[in-house]
Amino acid sequence: MDPYTFDKTAAWMERASRVIPGGIYGHFGPAPYVPVSAYPFFSDRAEGAYFWDVDGNRFIDYMCAYGPMIQGYRNPVVDAAYRAQMEKCDANSVCAPVMVELAEYMTELIPAADWAFFAKNGADVTNLAVMTARAATGRKKIVAIKGGYHGTSPWMQGPGHHGVIEEDTANIIRIPWNDVEALERVVADNLGQIAGFISSPCHHPIFTDNELPAPHYWERVEALLRANGIVFIIDDVRAGFRLHMGGSCEHYGFRPDLICFCKAIGNGYPISALVGGDALRGDVSKVFHTGSYWYGAGPMAAALANLQELRRINGPRLLRETGELLAAGMVDAARNNGFDLRISGEPSMLYARITDDPTLEMQQRWCGECARRGVFLTSHHNWFVSTAHTRKDIEDTVAVCDEAFKAVRAFYGSGV
Amino acid sequence: MSSEMVRAHLNLGAVLKNLEVLGDVDAEAARVTEPWRIAVQFTVAFGPEAWLEYSATGCRQDLGRHTNPDVRLLFATPRHLNRMFDGTALPIPLTGFTRLGFLKNEFPKATARLEAVLKPKTDPLEDPALLAANTALTLYTGAFAVRALAATDPVSAGIAAGAPAGTLQLQVLPDGPAAWVSFGKDGVRAGRGLAEAPAARMTFKDLRTAHEVLGGKRDGLSAIGQGDVEVWGMLPLVDSATLIMDRVARFLD
Repeated sequence: MDPYTFDKTAAWMERASRVIPGGIYGHFGPAPYVPVSAYPFFSDRAEGAYFWDVDGNRFIDYMCAYGPMIQGYRNPVVDAAYRAQMEKCDANSVCAPVMVELAEYMTELIPAADWAFFAKNGADVTNLAVMTARAATGRKKIVAIKGGYHGTSPWMQGPGHHGVIEEDTANIIRIPWNDVEALERVVADNLGQIAGFISSPCHHPIFTDNELPAPHYWERVEALLRANGIVFIIDDVRAGFRLHMGGSCEHYGFRPDLICFCKAIGNGYPISALVGGDALRGDVSKVFHTGSYWYGAGPMAAALANLQELRRINGPRLLRETGELLAAGMVDAARNNGFDLRISGEPSMLYARITDDPTLEMQQRWCGECARRGVFLTSHHNWFVSTAHTRKDIEDTVAVCDEAFKAVRAFYGSGV
Repeated sequence: MSSEMVRAHLNLGAVLKNLEVLGDVDAEAARVTEPWRIAVQFTVAFGPEAWLEYSATGCRQDLGRHTNPDVRLLFATPRHLNRMFDGTALPIPLTGFTRLGFLKNEFPKATARLEAVLKPKTDPLEDPALLAANTALTLYTGAFAVRALAATDPVSAGIAAGAPAGTLQLQVLPDGPAAWVSFGKDGVRAGRGLAEAPAARMTFKDLRTAHEVLGGKRDGLSAIGQGDVEVWGMLPLVDSATLIMDRVARFLD
């Protein structure tokens, strides 16, 4: 096929650069899209597993809005529930009953949850989780994983990042993933000072292979935290409901004190949640944490319908199967063209990397060639599949991957 | 480490380094320095040391001690050195009194040209030669500043420690100046020109783009979005180097 062109995206970027800092800020910004010329940056519409950019190019989307889309854009079940609620009310001066209904449903769905607290973004609830841990323990320090991401609040960022002062990160201790001994050392060195431990359920950093928990990792972590009165926080913002409807901890067989959800809860409608057990109900209720739009009823109705539908169709199983199919097809396409593609992480949110490419340039070129042919994926971040991705989408994707590998081979010649 | 001490390291490790190539980018500086044959040692009491040598093969500068300097200059404090770079203080000569005339009358001609290129009073975009010279020296200063800050500024050291090992190539296209910054277990190194096997590349479309982005007149992310700046490879190296470069302004005006 003829690779896409992005004239209108470029024109919008030009306009954006005049009035928006960086042109596009945050994780949608162009910096990690390499080469920028291979990617669209402005969409016109979206439906199912696809979006169309302002140039009219259609993409099979494997970023899924970086996670929120899990059942397809404009999913009829979710959208109908949202529209029905919006016909009645969204944000007004008091709460809508759907907030209670959603909390009831989530506490029934998630074994670790006796209560639910709603907000908008993942960082709203990772902040609340850390505040709750400090309130409950009277301690300051938080242990997190190197390369782990919990949002952009100052304590979550690295020292030296713009707008972050040393005091912001003074009480954050980073340890390597899957390293129980490191956690043991940190706990021993900071006896009685650690309020909480926060981690994603599986390790999904950027620019590097994703990692699953080692056998007995979570079991040992949980025991260590319990023995030392440290609040156990799971950041399930990215993986939540992609591995298990009861939270990713159920998939791996452990029980945290607090779980942070966002992204997939509302299939794109803005909502996040912190859930936890009775032991912390009193503490979280005393933490003052709120936001102007945190009581919006429309996204709550969308989330309720989304979780019910996802459970009905056994979404996590479908996502796993789709991810496995995608990975197998891509690996074959790579092999047929003389490349070795390594897949890591969970199949429903896999990370893929061409081996023998230490600088990632080949990887970037390959992902760019895929994007130019209608398969939207990035080279630095894990991908997502949705229940809207069909077998035909996967076949079409693998065909594009094959073409993209051929383009990369042509670029590098026999040197690959 | 005090900010004056960090600034002293920056002055000796990044700003003074530009004298090595000043003559290459500025004809007036080349004419002035061509006959010079002298080695000068700069020593800050309880602080950094550096040397500068003009010979028949040109100018060389590095951190540490020269084996046989003609002149030894002592600075009582980092602030004393920094004030000399600002033009508001004189060093204390320890040896080389016969060359004091050179230090008083000749050497300032070179530093004046350095200032004229790095802090021009006219807009470099109106003067192609000045644009080329200013952009080159700004790029080189940035690269060597990463090395200096990673060694002296605790926040920069933390950023460098978190960077993956590898070399970032900075280059102005199509045939402009280039510099590199290398992160590794033994610290940060920097150099001018093209590195052998960079793990990441940051290229500027032309001198104008580089001048505007490096000078803070245009935001780098927009420039990337518009395709005027390209990044490739291990982008965490780009993030780490630019985060440290962005700290230079905290110490140098």
